[in-house]
Amino acid sequence: MQSNEELKLGLLIASIAMLMMAFFVIMFVMYYQKKRFEEEKRISDIEKNYNRMLLDTALNSEETERRRIAQDLHDDIGTMLSLTKLSLNQLSKLVANSGDEKEESIMKKSQSLVEETILHVRRITRDLVPTTLERFGLMEAIEEFIHKLEEDNNLVIAFQSNTEEFPRQGQKLELTLYRIMQELVNNAIKHASCTKIDIVLEIDEEMIGLRVTDNGVGFDPEKIKESNLAGLGLLGIESRLAIVNGTVQYEQPAKGGSSAIARIPVNPASGNKPEPLHPFRRERVNI
Amino acid sequence: MLENYCSYIIRQPVISAPVFLNLLPILLIWRKRAYNDKMFFILFVYLILKFGVDLVMFDLASQRKNSVLYYNLNIPVRYVLTSWMFYYKLDYNAQRKWLMLSWILFVAFSAWDIIHTNPSMGDLYNHKMVLYSTTLESLLMLFWIMLYFYNTMRALKIPNLLTYPFFWICSGFLLYYSSLLFIAPVLHYASKWDQWMDIGSLDYIPYAFETVSLLLFSIGIAQYTGSSYAK
Repeated sequence: MQSNEELKLGLLIASIAMLMMAFFVIMFVMYYQKKRFEEEKRISDIEKNYNRMLLDTALNSEETERRRIAQDLHDDIGTMLSLTKLSLNQLSKLVANSGDEKEESIMKKSQSLVEETILHVRRITRDLVPTTLERFGLMEAIEEFIHKLEEDNNLVIAFQSNTEEFPRQGQKLELTLYRIMQELVNNAIKHASCTKIDIVLEIDEEMIGLRVTDNGVGFDPEKIKESNLAGLGLLGIESRLAIVNGTVQYEQPAKGGSSAIARIPVNPASGNKPEPLHPFRRERVNI
Repeated sequence: MLENYCSYIIRQPVISAPVFLNLLPILLIWRKRAYNDKMFFILFVYLILKFGVDLVMFDLASQRKNSVLYYNLNIPVRYVLTSWMFYYKLDYNAQRKWLMLSWILFVAFSAWDIIHTNPSMGDLYNHKMVLYSTTLESLLMLFWIMLYFYNTMRALKIPNLLTYPFFWICSGFLLYYSSLLFIAPVLHYASKWDQWMDIGSLDYIPYAFETVSLLLFSIGIAQYTGSSYAK
């Protein structure tokens, strides 16, 4: 009888121990899985931040390098060209006095070539560093960019915004939007064979939207990404947007062509007015 | 007959509860159309079969007849069906092959165990519960459950276990077989018609945890969403 009671007690203890172990296993699996996922998420966040910092640094370096080149072009080549122009003007007077028509014609050609070169250098300098963007803001910079493009190409570029006075945004955000707009328009001109480009800039309380639509041949961004054909342009757009928590979406309008919409959270400029970008000052850019 | 049933339910509520609770996961699988998933289809078949066997045993028990034969015959079928669910959840082919091999070996072993425990098969009145099969079944099932948990923890494929149906089903089986592991060998001596051994309330532990496991199955099935489960 006593052994039966002992057996029952033993069985009870063994069963309870087994059940406790089962509970422990279930809890452990849940806890371990949760911890591992948290750890994975933490590592993934660190990697994301690190990649973001790398991208940020790369883009900062790119902007600094652009400024340096623009500055060198303006200060060195620009100055030398101006001096050459002055010298040629003086020489032109001497040649005019000599009365040799052939020499005069060569002189005029040289003068016009130098003037053309000065204009080219100025254009390249402005392309490298969008000074209008820093001085007057995004809308003016886009308008200036369109104006220059329309001069050089047989294109109709329309620009509209949902606000008269586009509020100034952080320096990095404005430059990001400007560069994306530049890239999208250049892509449309280079690859889409389009005749018309619409640029729409919209702002609400939370987001800024930039839409660039063309009437060209259109493209399928998914196919381009799948076939590893995504050029530096599309990747550059995504990289720039990743830094400012923005997104880009490509659409194919029913009437043809293609449309790209970049959306970035609003980040108003701080109270202090930013230092104007100027190609003539040697400084490191921290956008 | 109804009086017998009612009387049995009143006398043995812990044993009767899981018989009718079988209907909860069955209805949930039916309502959620979870049977479209292979794993849930096997669970569905298992639960229907279990419900049928439990009903027959309940009917015989309420009439004070020996129902152990059905329990013994159910053991190999139960093992094949429950472990079959793991066939779809194990990641490696080698593990699946071992699982299939275990079906053949276990069915052969339990057939031997039934015959070994009951040399005179015709004597249904004195039919005894198998001696080793239930313990072996518990051990094998615990092994497959632990293997599945190990694979899950290693692969990190499931972001939230609490919303993953099979985790609840596994937890149900783990508790049920853990409760059965040590008691199963004693049931052979406790479930005899004559000269039975009194193990008191220990007899109820597997039934109580059978109820718990059925509730856990139901929680798991309630998490099932056809569209996301396959992913």
